[in-house]
Amino acid sequence: MSRRQQSIGGAALVLVLVWLVGYPLLITLLEALGLPGAFSLAPFLEFAGRPDEWRALWQSLWISAASVVLAGLVGVPLGLIFEGTDFPGRRTLGALIALPVALPPLVGVIAFLFLYGESGFVSRGVQTVLGLEKAPWRLSGPVAILLVHAYSMYVYFYLFTRAALVRIDASVLEAAASLGAGPRRRFFRVTLPLLGPALAGAALLTFMTSLASFSAPYIFGGGFRVMTTQIVASKLNGQIAMAQVETVTLALLAFLGLWAMRRAEPGRTAVVGGVRGIAPIRRQLRRPAVRLGAAALGWGLAVLLLLPHLTLLVISFVPPGTWTTEAVPPILDISNYRSLASTPERLRPVLNSLWMATAATLGALVLGLSAARTSVKRGGRLGDLLETLLSVPWALPGTVFAIALATAFSVNRPELGRLVLVGTPWILPMAYLVRSLPLTGRSSLAGLRQMDPSLEEAAASLGAGRLRRIWRVTLPLLRPAILAGASLAFITALGDFVTSIVLYTYDTRPISIEILSSLRLQDTGVAAVYGVLLMLVSATAFLLWGRERKA
Amino acid sequence: MPPFLILDRLQKSFADHMVLREISLDVEPGEVLVLLGPSGSGKTTLLRLIAGFEQPDEGQILVADEDVTPLPPEKRNFGMVFQHYALFPHLSVAGNVSFGLESRGVPRERRLSRVTEVLPLVDLEGFEDRRVQEISGGQQQRVALARALAPDPRLMLLDEPLSNLDPSLRERTRRELKNAIRRVGITAVWVTHEQEEAFDVGDRVALLNEGRLEQVGTPEELYLEPQSLFVAGFVGRASALKGSLVAENRVRLGDERFVGQGATWPVLTVGEVAVGEDVVISLRPEGLELVEAEQPDVLGGEVLERQYRGEVTYYRVCLEMEGEVLVVGASDGAEIGAQVGVALRQSEPAARAFPSPDEVPA
Repeated sequence: MSRRQQSIGGAALVLVLVWLVGYPLLITLLEALGLPGAFSLAPFLEFAGRPDEWRALWQSLWISAASVVLAGLVGVPLGLIFEGTDFPGRRTLGALIALPVALPPLVGVIAFLFLYGESGFVSRGVQTVLGLEKAPWRLSGPVAILLVHAYSMYVYFYLFTRAALVRIDASVLEAAASLGAGPRRRFFRVTLPLLGPALAGAALLTFMTSLASFSAPYIFGGGFRVMTTQIVASKLNGQIAMAQVETVTLALLAFLGLWAMRRAEPGRTAVVGGVRGIAPIRRQLRRPAVRLGAAALGWGLAVLLLLPHLTLLVISFVPPGTWTTEAVPPILDISNYRSLASTPERLRPVLNSLWMATAATLGALVLGLSAARTSVKRGGRLGDLLETLLSVPWALPGTVFAIALATAFSVNRPELGRLVLVGTPWILPMAYLVRSLPLTGRSSLAGLRQMDPSLEEAAASLGAGRLRRIWRVTLPLLRPAILAGASLAFITALGDFVTSIVLYTYDTRPISIEILSSLRLQDTGVAAVYGVLLMLVSATAFLLWGRERKA
Repeated sequence: MPPFLILDRLQKSFADHMVLREISLDVEPGEVLVLLGPSGSGKTTLLRLIAGFEQPDEGQILVADEDVTPLPPEKRNFGMVFQHYALFPHLSVAGNVSFGLESRGVPRERRLSRVTEVLPLVDLEGFEDRRVQEISGGQQQRVALARALAPDPRLMLLDEPLSNLDPSLRERTRRELKNAIRRVGITAVWVTHEQEEAFDVGDRVALLNEGRLEQVGTPEELYLEPQSLFVAGFVGRASALKGSLVAENRVRLGDERFVGQGATWPVLTVGEVAVGEDVVISLRPEGLELVEAEQPDVLGGEVLERQYRGEVTYYRVCLEMEGEVLVVGASDGAEIGAQVGVALRQSEPAARAFPSPDEVPA
């Protein structure tokens, strides 16, 4: 391929990515400013003058900050226990408690609802034991949101802590010991400061995720609005201009977060002196009582953390209308599964989600891989631009993209690159694709950066042309990275709720929307079945991801 | 016979930085040419231009009278051995070796028979099904050579092929690579920054410095007849002293009015210098000897260091005039701190005088 063809290829890639990622955001910003008509700051001024908008903004911020603290309080000790000590079942449990990160947020939310909600297992249990007339509590408002956030986002702290502990050079701790520092002192003066960058990374990731969180505030929030739910409410109420202004505001907040994250990339200061030593060995717990205690603690925490998902499984076996006032469901059978399998209208969302997620994943894979390869090979400004375009959808909340796509693709102006896609079956796969791009693109980037560039050169010197080089050398070597990215992309698309709720039509309704309407119809068993389906597919893809990543 | 490979006035720069300037070189058929130079001299860039991974800004590359400059690497039919081998980790030894044949559409049967033909050339018969991660560094190196040889390339390019090996393995692998290349009789361009390796494997050596070709010649020519101060200093050991040309091929060093602090020595003048001008003379340690001090045309000094190397002993002498020299002497020649005299041996290699640069290299 000549240089000219390469340049044309690079330019075409940039154009497609800009059209998918940057252009909708730009149009949203312009329309929020009244353009292309008369420039006007009126919607922004109206936004600034409304106390409920300020409240939503403030609530988004403090909920996110509080989520960071709570998730850290759960995740860091868990990471220390699972990386620092050894007890029976450590490996299996260690993998299991990372699972919630892979589950669609909506599944976590309804699982939580079934366990701790007004008519959940725990509240019924308390009600029965204390002989109360009504449920002892209602799960709603900021407390419920925070609980769900802590419950699902501790995984970031847990994983980052474990990864950072492995990277610590054992000789650093030995040096501290030889200088007279005891275990406590070593922990507070050496281990913890070395974990600093990783914890900062986890904190920002948690902050960004809760800023973008939609499912928990939507289901549990009630009158308590955060920015994401405020945007969707404005959109549903037909206040399009206000929704656009809110979207722009949330996007700005997220970009600020991304900027902060770039400045505090984790893992930069972990090793000094160039030579990587060996990781500290796990503390072998010799005394049987201590060993048993650690095992019990580990197991107890793991069960507590996985309990909501077990609950979901149980609820999926409760036939409709059979569980009324009892503490535990009186009947368990597979009628919900049977009804789903035999009712085409109920099967429809499953098929919808499957084909849309598959199409989006394939698209994101091809586009992400091409962009990553071009970025790595060409480098320079073009490389940076492609990398940024691949990363933007990751930094921005799903709600922002949903509104941006809804704005850009509801007008028929082909000469401006705008088509009417809203209301067609194409808008959701497209939205999923955009949201999945960072997953496939960034994993391809990471894989390509690890690959020795002389491998492709070696193939070229042996007479292999461009396609053969990609097919026989690059793709086989990138297989783990590609599979990892693709499985995460598939999980995200399959369980998507936040963009779907803005962009779905009745014919293309995905599983998440059907879960919501089943819940509205008090059809909890069917909602749970959908949840279990999502959980199973996601867990499979996640485990595949873990295996490939290790390979 | 006409040259097989011709590099004609090649130029290359990366972002305003000139990496190669006007490089012209001929390589004869079956010859092994070594590109030698310090890091950053442009030798690897030159090899990558020949291979086709980079395009020259100016100049041409001709192979057997064909201009290959516009061809992509895969169309050149050259074999290349990479610094870190670049073996395909997902393929077996046989898979690696037959890769180039596969690219050329050679049928499976022929590929396999070629693999069994090539592996013995590098002493690896029976290694077909081994994973490339399982074999030693030296064996990986030889698989890389076998892979490059299998498609029967016109030219072999080797980019610092030994730099990734333990010193203990390096000499043996060097011999094996050299023998394999000779056995096949292929024309080769071999890049290294080690002079000993260059002298051992190269029929001729091209010495590069800051993107310029300093000198091309046989190892003997480079060592005995360096054409520049850089070549004299980079190849082998040499001392440099400042002086001035007092007559054709005679240089005055230091101040002759005081015995021991100056001398007039016969030299071979290289380059444009007029009588009366300042020069720098380059002296090989074996061209000097330790003698009694306080004689005419003998430079007095103090022994700073004695380096015993078994077959020879080097003495580093700080001269009474400005400068230091390295002298080969008997193992019991002098003690550290002794006052000695340094005289020019009346034999090869001759002292060579070069036009004085702005600064004398250390």
